[in-house]
Amino acid sequence: MEEVPIIKMKGIVKIYSDGTKALKGVDFSVKKGEIHGLLGENGAGKTTLMKILSGMLHPTEGKIYVNGSEVTFKSPADALAKGIGMVHQHFTLVDVFDALHNIILGMEGHGAFSKIDVERAKEKLQKLMDELNFQVPLEVPVENLPVGVQQRIEILKMLYRDVDVLILDEPTAVLTPIEVKELFDVLRTLKNQGKTIIFISHKLREVMEITDRVTVLRKGELIGTVNTSEATPQLLARMMVGRDVVLRVEKPPKVPGEPILKVEDLWVKGDRGEDAVKGLSFEVRAGEIFGIAGVEGNGQTELIEAITGLRKVEKGKIILNGKVITTKSPKDLYNLGVAHIPEDRINMGLILEMSVAENTILGLHWREKFVGPLNSIRWKNVKEHAKRLVENFEIVAPGVDSPAKSLSGGNQQKLIVAREVSKEPLLIVASQPTRGVDVASTEYIRNYLIKLRNEDKAVLLVSADLDEVLQLSDRMAIMYEGQFVGIVKPEEVTEEQIGLMMGGIKDEN
Amino acid sequence: MKIDTLVKPLMESIVAITIGVLIGAIVLTFSGFSPIEAYKALLDGALGSTYGIAMTLSSATPIILTALTFAISARTGIFNIGAEGTVYFGAIAAIILTNVVGNPLVGLLGGILLGALWSLPAAFLKVYRGVHEVISTIMFNWIAFYTVLYFVLGPLANPNDPNKTIEIPTSARLPLLMKGSELSWAFIIAILAAVISYYILWHTVLGYELRASGYNERAARYAGINPKRAIIWSFILGGLMSGLAGATEVMGRPPSYAISQGMANIHGYGFDGIGVSLVGRNHPIGIIFSGIFFGILKAGATAMQIEAGVPLEMVKVVQGIIVVAVAVPGLWDLIKKVVRR
Repeated sequence: MEEVPIIKMKGIVKIYSDGTKALKGVDFSVKKGEIHGLLGENGAGKTTLMKILSGMLHPTEGKIYVNGSEVTFKSPADALAKGIGMVHQHFTLVDVFDALHNIILGMEGHGAFSKIDVERAKEKLQKLMDELNFQVPLEVPVENLPVGVQQRIEILKMLYRDVDVLILDEPTAVLTPIEVKELFDVLRTLKNQGKTIIFISHKLREVMEITDRVTVLRKGELIGTVNTSEATPQLLARMMVGRDVVLRVEKPPKVPGEPILKVEDLWVKGDRGEDAVKGLSFEVRAGEIFGIAGVEGNGQTELIEAITGLRKVEKGKIILNGKVITTKSPKDLYNLGVAHIPEDRINMGLILEMSVAENTILGLHWREKFVGPLNSIRWKNVKEHAKRLVENFEIVAPGVDSPAKSLSGGNQQKLIVAREVSKEPLLIVASQPTRGVDVASTEYIRNYLIKLRNEDKAVLLVSADLDEVLQLSDRMAIMYEGQFVGIVKPEEVTEEQIGLMMGGIKDEN
Repeated sequence: MKIDTLVKPLMESIVAITIGVLIGAIVLTFSGFSPIEAYKALLDGALGSTYGIAMTLSSATPIILTALTFAISARTGIFNIGAEGTVYFGAIAAIILTNVVGNPLVGLLGGILLGALWSLPAAFLKVYRGVHEVISTIMFNWIAFYTVLYFVLGPLANPNDPNKTIEIPTSARLPLLMKGSELSWAFIIAILAAVISYYILWHTVLGYELRASGYNERAARYAGINPKRAIIWSFILGGLMSGLAGATEVMGRPPSYAISQGMANIHGYGFDGIGVSLVGRNHPIGIIFSGIFFGILKAGATAMQIEAGVPLEMVKVVQGIIVVAVAVPGLWDLIKKVVRR
């Protein structure tokens, strides 16, 4: 007789209010007491599916069954009541509270003045920690604790609420290798106690190591569920990145010229002080698009920020056209011929409250053409410049005096590309140039990057969209945990090889 | 589009003024006064005669300048409420320097320079030590108050008049625009300052950089702008405006031409300036108009007291309500922005 799964999700569809179809009818089921991996690229729908299961999001369509009976979750509290709890990638701890108060937060009793029974909570937690064979300091503010310990506090928080099904969203993303090992020990202990664990990840090796079964999602669709013991990294990689045929862009062959950008043994730290870029070396030549693929959060952002002068370089050298630029400011870099299409259009690429015209001189507003006597701005020239860009790049805007926020996402992005190109650069650093951009603008921008390459510019492209990197790049690197797993030519690799590399495994063949 | 960005804030300010006036009327009614009579007296006093108008404009002068301090900072994303203390220093600089060199330009320049200088500690604390400007400028306001008070009571005390400091020498006083009134060239200077502020903010590279970092610090950094430099400049420009407010107030406001005992005649402008700036939508040209509106309230208050019998305290209550109602939309935008950070 077939065992009733502890979790069963059937035909889950999720359409966000902006029309994005995140999940297109996904079935998902988890057996009691297993560690179940949920694997997929960025945007595959892993987190969305789990947010639905933990009550944070409501499915547009579809049913959820817990132990065979249908449930509807209106909030995470409903899911918790059914024994389902999620540990998010970004922790939800109150920094200045200690572990104890973080864990009992929301469960301290009802009524503003009811007494908190700290002693009883402490006892229960101590018992839990003894059972799990790990300890966390209960009375230290969590902001003073390492990330690995904070994560355990999150796990404890869920266990304290008596969850049976524990969902972990990319739990190893923030951990050091030793902490990962310790986490896996905790997960195995939990499994032995009969808890069910859903492990969201894109790291093949970890999924192979810790899970019993794996479900793979791709672009909001279920690809399949396999037993880990019967799977190979190759199979999972193929399931994860199998490609659809996409509209191709015209890219004539071209022999690249001199190296424009050289990066030598570059080390850069991330926001939390961890090493985000670990000794990278590569070069981008004139007339070449060098693509960097990989799952986001593997150091791409830090690499780009270092090259564009927004982040401190710890060690190593960046050389532009023979000149060391490692410690240059963004302003110096623009003057030396760098252009930067930043990954965050809204918070970095544009000032939404300012007008289209004002945005077209961001980062070149000191150029002679725009500055008159007494450091005044020649608005006439600025407006001409803006009108020319709007015209040349077919940007749909009510006018150059209207605020940038009145433009659609695609046109905002085109505005950024137009402005950066108008800096007349040698090197264009394009980070996620078409993210969240409509199809027509995407095509326009991709073709434009190729045009720049054909005009002998060096283009460094970073994108989480593998199609984009494969289509545009002359050479591409796959980045994983701050390093390149390999540098390849797109036409010479198979999907499987790329999938493996994105998961951190270099194919030896 | 351009018209829209102009009309919307204007409408919001007008609606707020109306609401403020109506609530004020309710309070007046409950306190046993006739609101119509009271407001009539207020308007009559402030605008009913050339003397009244002169009073209105001279009352508007210092608060236009202190509002510019707040506006320039706010445009840079800074909540600078240090105008109050800076006014004191501007005033004392003018008194000391004009008594050395009896020339109005020296007094104005001294006020400007000391004002800019006094605003620097808060700027550096903000930029290099991360001290929030609201906390530091409040503290600096008190430091300024007692420091200047020491000078007022001690070294600069007027040997002939125990109620004030030594006076601005006649040669350094700003000429009056209307005989027998309090309206002097100070008002023209304030208007000029507003126009110059507008020019700096919207027509120079510096202003562009200030506004860019005020809207979005990350984008500014990305654009090669140094937000720290922008913040320091916004404090300097702001300080210079308030310093000017202090200087013009003692140099161009009869009859005292000095700082009075307890500093009553230069007190409170910094805080009034915040309200003026918010009503003027932190825009220098808007500030000219809202400054004059506040001038009406100030100048009309006396008439309201005398003619409608509304006690001065009640006048202040009504003023307060109008200020709050008027300030709400602008304040609301600012709070939303600060919270979002």
